[in-house]
Amino acid sequence: MNTALEMRGISKSFPGILALADVDLIARAGEVHAIVGENGAGKSTLMKILAGVYQPDQGSIVLGGSETRIAGPIDARRRGIGMVYQELNLVPDLTVAENIMLGATPSRFGFVRRRALAEAATEVLDAFDARIDPSAILGSLTVSQQQIVEIAKAYAQRPSIMVLDEPTSSLSEHEAQALFHIVRRMRADGIAIIYISHRLREVLDLADQVTVLRDGRQIATRPSEGVTAGEMIRLMVGRDLTDIFPKREVPIGEVVLEVDGLTRAGAFSDVSLNVRAGEIVGLAGLVGAGRTEVARAVFGLDRAQSGTVRVDGAELVARTPAQGVAAGIAYVPEDRKRDGIVPSASIKDNISLPVLASLSTAGWISRPRERAMVREQVETLGVSPPVIERAVDTLSGGNQQKVVIAKWLAARPRVLILDEPTRGVDVGAKADIHEIIGELAAAGTAILLISSELPEVLAVSDRIYVLNEGRVSAELDRAEADEAAVMLAATGEAANA
Amino acid sequence: MTDTKLDTTVTGVPGTSRVTRANLGARLGPLIGMPVGIVLLLIIGTLLSDRFFSVGNLVNVLINISILGVIVVGMTFVFITRGLADLSVPATVAVGAILTLGLQPAIGTFAAALVGILAACGAGIVSGVLIGYARINPVITTLGVSTIVLGIAQWSVGGVIVYGSDPEAQAFVNSRVFGIPVIVIIFVIVAVVGHLVLSRTTLGRWVYAAGSNPDATRASAVPLARTRASAFIMTAGLSGLAGALLGITLQTARPAIGVGYEFDAITAVVVGGISLLGGSGSIPRAIGGLLFVALLNNILVLQGVPTAVQGIAKGLLIVGAVSLDIYLRRKGGRS
Amino acid sequence: MSINAPLRDGWSLALLGLVRYRVIVILVATLVIAATFVPGFFEARTLSLGIDRVATMGLIAIGLTVVLIAGQLDLSGGAILALSGIAAVGLQESMGQVPAAIVGLGVGVLAGCFNGVLVVLLRINSLVATLASMLLFRAICHLITDSRPVSGIDPFFGIPLTQPVLGTLSTRVFIFVVLILLLHVWLTRMVSGRNLFAVGSNATSAAASGIRSRWYLFGAFAFSGLMAGLAGVTFGIASNTGSPVFGDTIVLTAIAAVVIGGTRLEGGVGSALGTLGGLLTLAALTTAMEYQSIPAYVQDIVTGAILLLLILLDRLTHAKRGTDVSPSALLRRLSSKRDDAHSHETERTPA
Repeated sequence: MNTALEMRGISKSFPGILALADVDLIARAGEVHAIVGENGAGKSTLMKILAGVYQPDQGSIVLGGSETRIAGPIDARRRGIGMVYQELNLVPDLTVAENIMLGATPSRFGFVRRRALAEAATEVLDAFDARIDPSAILGSLTVSQQQIVEIAKAYAQRPSIMVLDEPTSSLSEHEAQALFHIVRRMRADGIAIIYISHRLREVLDLADQVTVLRDGRQIATRPSEGVTAGEMIRLMVGRDLTDIFPKREVPIGEVVLEVDGLTRAGAFSDVSLNVRAGEIVGLAGLVGAGRTEVARAVFGLDRAQSGTVRVDGAELVARTPAQGVAAGIAYVPEDRKRDGIVPSASIKDNISLPVLASLSTAGWISRPRERAMVREQVETLGVSPPVIERAVDTLSGGNQQKVVIAKWLAARPRVLILDEPTRGVDVGAKADIHEIIGELAAAGTAILLISSELPEVLAVSDRIYVLNEGRVSAELDRAEADEAAVMLAATGEAANA
Repeated sequence: MTDTKLDTTVTGVPGTSRVTRANLGARLGPLIGMPVGIVLLLIIGTLLSDRFFSVGNLVNVLINISILGVIVVGMTFVFITRGLADLSVPATVAVGAILTLGLQPAIGTFAAALVGILAACGAGIVSGVLIGYARINPVITTLGVSTIVLGIAQWSVGGVIVYGSDPEAQAFVNSRVFGIPVIVIIFVIVAVVGHLVLSRTTLGRWVYAAGSNPDATRASAVPLARTRASAFIMTAGLSGLAGALLGITLQTARPAIGVGYEFDAITAVVVGGISLLGGSGSIPRAIGGLLFVALLNNILVLQGVPTAVQGIAKGLLIVGAVSLDIYLRRKGGRS
Repeated sequence: MSINAPLRDGWSLALLGLVRYRVIVILVATLVIAATFVPGFFEARTLSLGIDRVATMGLIAIGLTVVLIAGQLDLSGGAILALSGIAAVGLQESMGQVPAAIVGLGVGVLAGCFNGVLVVLLRINSLVATLASMLLFRAICHLITDSRPVSGIDPFFGIPLTQPVLGTLSTRVFIFVVLILLLHVWLTRMVSGRNLFAVGSNATSAAASGIRSRWYLFGAFAFSGLMAGLAGVTFGIASNTGSPVFGDTIVLTAIAAVVIGGTRLEGGVGSALGTLGGLLTLAALTTAMEYQSIPAYVQDIVTGAILLLLILLDRLTHAKRGTDVSPSALLRRLSSKRDDAHSHETERTPA
């Protein structure tokens, strides 16, 4: 089989992080090459280098036998690399056919050759056995149909290499089957396919070769035949615990947060969990398993279709952030830039934002009370620099994160939900944040911790719920939880293991 | 450069957290730029014309901007909360003016002005609900509301010019207390109250937060829709007040009385360096912009420059101010 | 559930249909009302007079349709109209009528390019940018005319523009109708037209697909300038006058017409025929109300109410925007309902 792509010795670092270290990847025509690894193992970085979004610090890319520099996404496309990302990149107001042929619309004298357009789109969709009307407006399709259109769009360019980055993360099992069919079609067409997925079973089903990445390093590349899911998990997680998180033992009290049968169509279903006073409960799962969605629905940022949320036995009815705060829930969001900070405002204004009502009389803010409160929080959390008038966007990531946490501590919550509190944060700030979490638990706060970093969840939590495809697949005690057990449950392999 | 030492941690995105000498300048620039600009204009004006730097002339400049200034205060709220702009100003000004003069004989000037302002607030509530709660584009909403409100205002008076019947009220507004014209006093009160609301109250904080990052604001349990709506209600009410003052001063009100005020108010806010992207700005800055435009106009008038050139100057001023703002933002590392 | 579902389905479908075909619905309603009030409304003469009065605004609306589909706004059309008109009329004496008209068009294009530079190159928000250029162009008008109207050399030169050519359609109506049909063909049939929608709907995706988004934005402003220029030249020649105050309220009304026609201010959605429908609605309203001697401000109230109602409906049904309500799909629905067959078959989950 001839080699379509060879990436040799690729290294890439971002300030403070070595994202990829000396990674080799060979993709052959008519073969599916899967890349697996934990969140943050470097899979996406590798693919962004292939797409020309990033330039590698070291290493070379050989396409069709000759060394190439890929200048950017459009250049990559011209060189026969088709990319399908997790996030859809389509135009909602155009038809399916127009989307598939966007940028390469068949034309004569500038006029769209409508029949040729429809034929080209139909041909691609037929090749996929997809029953999608090419003349439908894209925005009217389901997410899974749009995903197929996205792949069809890449396929229509007749690429020699096709990269699929987590194509099934938003699809149901049934919808995923349709997609696997398409992948096999493309393989039969002689396309070299690079397939990134968290779902180990589908990787083993589909792939001819598997490459395992861990912390930016290439751990193994081998034919998938004979490899078991358990073996792959060991390769993915087998790392040394370098960061040690001291865990405090605190007495655990009554149930504070009680979630029962919470369901939000397309995101998660029938999620039940509880957190006690003083307890730190981890919520583990792979990207797309629905962890953040559950947290947002509990807090009231998103609406859930059914199920109940209780704090101290009292049910939350309105389910808005305001009610969540009033009931004593606080949520430190996953996406700090989007949902966490108000960038141009000062540290002070950010921290006092949710509790302004308690600092003001008839809408008039008491500046001494506000300053005192903010100073106290800044000091407790060790925000640096402790200049409360400073704009938040001039702070480092770790300090921005501390500001977001401080904002919620000021509200004195009964339940604190922390969604990836240490992502993109340096080691020092990380230890600080863990210490704060421990202290809060000691003070009797119920803590729900979401983290993609397994060692962190394992070290900090008293109990762990694992989500797989929107459902709770395991509840593990501190004693029985280890990386392998969590990964098995997270990949849906627990039942088969 | 010592500031960079504070940045010991990694954000993952290079450059976002650095405070260097270059972007320190970019961050300070907007703060000192406007006062310096105004002082420069004062110096230039004095050098060019001996009539410029006199109490009489400068007070005239103030009187000229007072009515517009009341509207500018409201428009600043709209800009900061990322509500684009309120194009219904001409209509709400007309409502204020027409109702004040129209109802004057029946219920007295003060009560009539109050009714006018409340009616304008009513228009603002319609815009505010559509923009804040139904999340319709502010430009088209205020445009539509404007058309309707202006129509109703004209209907209520039969589409003709309304004349005032209370010369005492006119005399009062044009009078001076301790040498300061009453109309200027009203403007200063509105500006000070507006400034305090924006900088010292819960609502003010919400306005900034909503404009800077609506998602994070909602996630902080802030009533986002109500905040957006209140900016438009406030602008409408203040435009109604401006209309009432205008009506009383002129003692005539025709439906087109407020035409152009929306663009003049936007010009002042933009020249004050407040971005349509929201989240930053202040009443003093907007009024700085207003003063700058007014002084420039005054100098041009004193120099006998044709009125048309003033329009050109205004247009170029907007382009210059916004380009500078965009340039400084990029240099300052903010997107 | 089983009893409620089809009922609710029927209502929401009706609502969606109403939104989708709102231009036609509103236009027909207006025409019916107009016809009952105005005797002989459907006589060719009355109709063509009605259209003639919106021809100038229609040209501006054509440019705006393109700008709005690209997701931008252009407030400067009225000022460009005045400027081009002054050029086309004022230069007649020195360079002849036809060359002056051509210069007028050139002025429009240049002004549009200026907007394009502000928005695309300097990255100024189009609302503020075109507000500034509006003030600027208007000031230039006043400056070069000394705020006085200019007159052409021959009052008869412009007469053909307002004279009927085809049946009862005047030349400028004819120009407008031809242009709007060309716009329709461009937007629906040509690659660049379709790409314009892609740029307005999702500029990032469009750019990732190799479409040069920034050039499309620039082109949209240049085109809008050309259309405003054409409006100015025809209006100036027809009235044999160029005035710095011409067109001072035309843009906002034109935006209203375009939006009533179903073009979305956020970009990515719109049509030329919709704009035509929006304009005709306004024209019919004006004609009917004037005939009844209903004051202009009542017409304003009606226009504004229609505008807000349509946008509100649009917003409320936005989540279901993709539901298929084409005539064939509606027909399919109706027949399947009659057969009591799977009414959910064609239902699509909104994304």
